[in-house]
Amino acid sequence: MKNQTPTLGFTIVCLLLIPWFEIRAAEEKTKPAPPANEAKDSAEADSGKETPDPGKQPIDRYFAITGSTVHTITGPVVDGPTVLCKNGKIAEIGHDLRLPKNTEILDAKGYHMYPGLVAIQSQGILGNEPPEDNTDLYNLSMTLGLANGITTAVTGNTAAKLTFGTVEGHVLRQNLFHTLQYSTENPDGRRKFRESLERARQYLRDLDDHEKKKKHDPKSKPPTAPKNEDEKALKLLKHELVALATVNTAQALNDLAGLAEQYGFQLVVQGAAEGWIVAPQMARAGVRACITPRTRRDRDERTNHPNGSSIENARILHEHGILFAIIPSSTGITTMGLAGRDLMHLPMEAAFAVRGGLPDEVAVRAITIDAARILGIDHHVGSIEVGKDADFAIVDGDLLHYMTLVRWAIVNGRIAYDKQKDSLLDHIRPDGQRDAPPPYDPWPRRLGEDW
Amino acid sequence: MIGIRGRQIHSFHHGNRQAFWLITSLLGLLLTMPPLARADVPEKLAFRVGKVVTMDDEDRVLNNAIVLVCGGKIEKIGTIKDLPIPDGYTLIDRPDHWLVPGLVEAHDHAVGSSSDLHDYVYLTNPGLRTTSALVPESENLKRARAGGVTTALMLPGSGNNLSGFGTLTKLAGDTVDKMLIRAPGCVKIAQAGNPERYWYGVSRCFMYYNLRQTLQKALAYHQKWERYEAGETAEKPEFDLFWDDFRAVFRRDIIALVHTQWYQVVMSSVDMLAKKLHMRIVLGHATFEAYKTAPLVIEQQDIYTCNGPRQIHFDQHQRKIMGNAARWWQGGVRKLGINTDAPVVPQEELPFQAAMACHYGWHPYPALRGITRIAAETLMLEDRVGSIVVGRDADLGLWTGDPIDPRSACELTVINGQIVYDAAKKREF
Repeated sequence: MKNQTPTLGFTIVCLLLIPWFEIRAAEEKTKPAPPANEAKDSAEADSGKETPDPGKQPIDRYFAITGSTVHTITGPVVDGPTVLCKNGKIAEIGHDLRLPKNTEILDAKGYHMYPGLVAIQSQGILGNEPPEDNTDLYNLSMTLGLANGITTAVTGNTAAKLTFGTVEGHVLRQNLFHTLQYSTENPDGRRKFRESLERARQYLRDLDDHEKKKKHDPKSKPPTAPKNEDEKALKLLKHELVALATVNTAQALNDLAGLAEQYGFQLVVQGAAEGWIVAPQMARAGVRACITPRTRRDRDERTNHPNGSSIENARILHEHGILFAIIPSSTGITTMGLAGRDLMHLPMEAAFAVRGGLPDEVAVRAITIDAARILGIDHHVGSIEVGKDADFAIVDGDLLHYMTLVRWAIVNGRIAYDKQKDSLLDHIRPDGQRDAPPPYDPWPRRLGEDW
Repeated sequence: MIGIRGRQIHSFHHGNRQAFWLITSLLGLLLTMPPLARADVPEKLAFRVGKVVTMDDEDRVLNNAIVLVCGGKIEKIGTIKDLPIPDGYTLIDRPDHWLVPGLVEAHDHAVGSSSDLHDYVYLTNPGLRTTSALVPESENLKRARAGGVTTALMLPGSGNNLSGFGTLTKLAGDTVDKMLIRAPGCVKIAQAGNPERYWYGVSRCFMYYNLRQTLQKALAYHQKWERYEAGETAEKPEFDLFWDDFRAVFRRDIIALVHTQWYQVVMSSVDMLAKKLHMRIVLGHATFEAYKTAPLVIEQQDIYTCNGPRQIHFDQHQRKIMGNAARWWQGGVRKLGINTDAPVVPQEELPFQAAMACHYGWHPYPALRGITRIAAETLMLEDRVGSIVVGRDADLGLWTGDPIDPRSACELTVINGQIVYDAAKKREF
């Protein structure tokens, strides 16, 4: 982590958290701690914005990645350009760029560079809300997430970055969604939600009438502003909030999509296992989805309409123009041994969507830009474009191939994970060697010749 | 019963041959021959494909190849240039697809439902057989076929030290008899882990004692019969259903599938079961840091390692994520396969287990071999399944590409020369 400039946020965490961290921080050249009232600003500041030393001009931090095949996602795949980052943002992309003198250069020739992956849900990688206070910036899950190329994740209702070792530029966006408790098994809840929407809509109409009346009658009273759930419903109608619901059955999806269409609110559905059955209805209502392609729901033979999961779900949703993100069935990180269904293997879940007929590019979008769009953070992350955050997953092959490993993860223009400098996976195909010798392993301790 | 019905309908066209066909059909059922052809499925298939991965002794991979299937067996293999397709064969022409052997699962618990089959009667339960609980055409089996899996060892659970005998089956057929390859197909032994939760106080020393005691009694029964059969004694031993299945185990006609993990437990499996009792054992999980026993396992030349469902081990002392299969391979173990432990990992994800093994350091070709040929050898079925070789069972998977890649889909599954899954009709996985 030679390029990791300690920042104010970093220092605060040092003071608050683990002792060994302090030792580590002390080893590096720590800047004098700025006044405490700047702390919040610093934590929330745009990524890459250095805390200025008093009386000095801030020094721009340049970082360049050269030689890789760049998968921009929103644009073409470019072979071997230099991507220059300034203060954690992408400043320039091109061949023959003139690099500033103090640029830190990462030679990634032979590697593929994707935008950092976006995990639309996560557990254990980030701290509970508020993550800027709770995230353990050196936790193993974060490193393993980075080792999978994930640079942005969601905790609770907040999107934050896997800023290993620093809280600077950690939080991206808060209050992502308004969660609906919506279930076809809860008719009362459904009725209450509908009524709230209806009252909110009536309020908007009354307000409109009031505005008109006021011109003739200045004493006209405005309608009473809605409260509690009605207020939330109003925010939904005004697109100040986005609704989020976990629904899987065709019936519930249809029902909810109908409401979204009728009242014109923005809706994201999690699960959507039977989305393939009601894709036209979802598309008409502009519903967005967060799906797990491998979801397994057996058909219910007692019903006479299509039901159950389908490996073709992703393809069918895509063909109907529905925007979706992909997430594995487990949104945590597990080292207990069952590999391939958690956030250590996000691209593998996307690969299963390809199995069902989704084009590769769309599957990659579903774990980068499309996930970012659903979270409303696509102006920061999800693609490689000038002006966006310098978050990258630099991998040793096709992202969706099962042999591909992340070589570097870059967050806010800093190397947050370097496979060959971290013990976790350095022994697996070091620098691409498939027949590398096994790692030094002092066991078996008791299995000598005389055992 | 569809097979029979098909024959009966067929018989009407031949009027006077009706009785003959009926008798033939019944005989077929009685002798548990390979399933009879359905009226709507051609018996002669010709595959013209981009790649055939044979998994034969020479590890041949043929590009632009033809495979002919007749009478439930592989009839001919050749390249498009050399092998003309005779008349009467239904051509399946997929010039960009791969034809691979039907995948073989050496560790499946989804015998009758979606959950592990556990009969927690005693700590050791000789006499129990999964054959009696097998449910043909269950949802799990259908999905497994959609994942290109054609053969499985249906095991009892691992909640006891010895949970009974497993069944070797094909994953097609609407009766148990039609599915059956061999029953009993193995004895299932579980060491450490799950059986330690059987009852308070059951731990490793007691388990080893208990297991040894059961197996010694079984061995004594077997030896008594051996002596009688060799003419060493005229006294005919009494038949005992409780112990009789063990005779095949001690004759090494069937394997002992051992649920064993952690290095200490694997050491005990090797020592107690392979070295001292001369059983042909399969290390049925071989997870956590079990790969450290590789030198011991190699020393006993006939031990097969069937790794899974855990594909990684987090070595906390070294802060390293080890790929279990890769570490066994690096330790020199070559009789190495992969399992799902279905339904722990869904049966159709067997190739994905291999993908994970590769992601963490193994190699694609041996991994594919580990779920076909090696798995067949593990089960002592290599003369029938696990490879595309003339004369062997026509169990095949037609894939859009590398079967290990989760992006590839199985388009067609063939068991005993019959199409049992066709994604063009409905894609299940």
